[in-house]
Amino acid sequence: MNPEFLRNLWLELSPRRVLLMTVLLGLAIFAAAISGGRDYLPAAVAESLYYFIVVIWGARNAALSVVGEIRDRTWDLQRLSALGAGEMTWGKLAGSTIYNWYGGALCLAVVLVYGFAKRGPAATFIDLIYYLTIGVIAQAGAMLASLIAVRRRQRHTRFEIFLYQLAGFVAALVAFWVWEMADPAGSIITHRPPTDFIVWWGQSFDARPFLLVSLALFGAWILVGCYREMRRELKMRNGPLVWLGFLVFMGLYVAGFDAWLSRDAQMAQWSVGTLRLLLAASMYATLTYIMVLLEPKDRVLYRWLGSQLGHGRIVAFFANFQAWMMSYLAAAAVTLGLILWVGRHESSPAEAQAVIAAGLGFLTRDVGIFVLYHAFASRRRGDFGVLAILFALYVLLPEIAKGLGLSSDLTIFFPQPTTPIWLGPAVAWGEALVIFALAFTRVALVSVPQRTRALPA
Amino acid sequence: MIEVRDLTYEYPATRALEDVSLSVPGGTITALVGPNGAGKTTLLRCLAALEPPYSGTVAIDGLDTGANPREIHARLGYLPDFYGLYDDLTVRRCLTYAARAHAIAPSLAPPAVEKAARRVGLLDRLESKAGELSRGLRQRLAIAQAIVHEPKVLLLDEPAAGLDPQARRDLSTLLVSLRDAGMTLVVSSHILAELEDYCSEMIIIDKGRVAGGKPIKVKEVERVRYAIELATARADLGEFLHGEGIDVLEADDRHASIVFTPNAAARAKLVRDLVGAGFELASFGAEGRSLEEAYFAEVGKEAS
Repeated sequence: MNPEFLRNLWLELSPRRVLLMTVLLGLAIFAAAISGGRDYLPAAVAESLYYFIVVIWGARNAALSVVGEIRDRTWDLQRLSALGAGEMTWGKLAGSTIYNWYGGALCLAVVLVYGFAKRGPAATFIDLIYYLTIGVIAQAGAMLASLIAVRRRQRHTRFEIFLYQLAGFVAALVAFWVWEMADPAGSIITHRPPTDFIVWWGQSFDARPFLLVSLALFGAWILVGCYREMRRELKMRNGPLVWLGFLVFMGLYVAGFDAWLSRDAQMAQWSVGTLRLLLAASMYATLTYIMVLLEPKDRVLYRWLGSQLGHGRIVAFFANFQAWMMSYLAAAAVTLGLILWVGRHESSPAEAQAVIAAGLGFLTRDVGIFVLYHAFASRRRGDFGVLAILFALYVLLPEIAKGLGLSSDLTIFFPQPTTPIWLGPAVAWGEALVIFALAFTRVALVSVPQRTRALPA
Repeated sequence: MIEVRDLTYEYPATRALEDVSLSVPGGTITALVGPNGAGKTTLLRCLAALEPPYSGTVAIDGLDTGANPREIHARLGYLPDFYGLYDDLTVRRCLTYAARAHAIAPSLAPPAVEKAARRVGLLDRLESKAGELSRGLRQRLAIAQAIVHEPKVLLLDEPAAGLDPQARRDLSTLLVSLRDAGMTLVVSSHILAELEDYCSEMIIIDKGRVAGGKPIKVKEVERVRYAIELATARADLGEFLHGEGIDVLEADDRHASIVFTPNAAARAKLVRDLVGAGFELASFGAEGRSLEEAYFAEVGKEAS
């Protein structure tokens, strides 16, 4: 048996705790059954308990599976072992939540028995897959959030641990919301008719299998993310290929939903290819912002990358790219493709091309602000300062400019059509170049250690 | 066993290690000493393949830490300066987990656990919970976890911190026994006096560099310095010793500190010569705090 899983079994599944969980859940469901309410009440109570035990509580335990080891100073002992990244990942993910899964299994038994009696085996099987998937998404999402956070800092407050738990909960909530769109039972809650078909890449798919497969795929990607972050914690090298694979997957997945954009009257005038490239570019830009926010902006790494490039070690240079850098390159490549496509397939394309080019310029400027800010700030500072700067640039200053009657000068804040057409991209890229020149200069400076001498005992 | 070449490690705001090169032979105990913040812990973590160097290489038993971190993790034992234990597990389960996590087969884990517990004197505590142990016993359990898989290299960061004198003596005995069993140990410590009991080499880290550029042989340091004390003052003591061709570090009319061969016959002759020349010899012996002097000599050299 996986030693990490075994250790968690020792800690989590003591006979007393197992008995306690069994008795409490039994009493709760028994109380629901004899309350004289409707016949679905025990199943509804069991479903609520499942969400609480597996999704909410399980996400917290998963978030603590590594952060708790760091807090208790046992993480180095675990890292200096012969366990592989895969063993460590599943040993922690399944082990730290085994008590939750035990309680969840008891709840799920009630839910599925009721579902089997009411809706038959096929629907019950799909429900089983859904419940397991949403549990895994919540727990793996929380674990992934904590592992990404570990790269930025080693000490974590209770509030931060709550945030990692929240990340898992939000991932589960999105999964719930997506699933609810096609769930006949879910439509009772939202009073909206369930979606029967989903159009993707021009093809119509049955909504429930499509969404279930989508959730399973995203769950699998979250697990891959956990595995990759665990490799990094164990000091194994992560090449760029898996993240590139994820980018390709996300680009293709999102680009297939062009039919949704076509519902908009203005968007409907554009060709399918434009809409698909626009969706992919937007997804890559979003991923760039997310990853540049989450990943450590490490001056030492940037200097190291610069030295590799300077020595002509191109493979080492690209192999150590951060995810935001690859996402940015993907966004830039697809945006360039979009500009070319618009030029060939849309009528009067120049204005659209200029706005798109300006958009890429502002994305470049924004990631430059992240890099520059961390080149000045101490390592422990977070990104709230950068978020405040971006909020000022995109919201506060434009509002002030509007208030002063300077609406024509908003070009310096975000992409918009300009006269002459080239002005918008020129301003955006000018800002980006200035920011990156400052960041490059700052990062390239090597500081010299200054220590005070202390005597030994 | 351990080869470090031009190791540089940077934190975002400071360079913690700069061009550190050192070599630790197998089957030795090497002390790592230096002021607070000198870079000892960072160096140990680089040796343990827990921190990747900015530049330079670290090789453990021929394996590069950058290319083979997990192979090195599996072969190492490491006790950080601040460590934790699984307080709710028994000593047996703590050690069983450590053994299994180091790929010891389930059938071989119980004897490995008992051997490690015997080495650190915890055999009678196997069913006690880790959280119930005293500080000294927790230290022993932490070391037992680090050695349960018989690592070739054992890295200990301030292992004696917070231990009482008896526990420190026990620790010294344990470290010597591990060395005698073939392990290579690197021990970071602030307490120079105790290092003399078991270390064969001392590496001084100061301002992220190896002070003096190379390790100091502890046994050589111990044996070449001697103190001479006279019962009656003689102004020509230093002159006499110089005349005998002896390297005099310092001398006044009652005391002298000399560097001399550890050969017993030569020392006996020197005593005879002193007495023969009319010096009333009160004592003649090896200087007790030689390692500390060596430390300050190197650190002082760096400072000037």
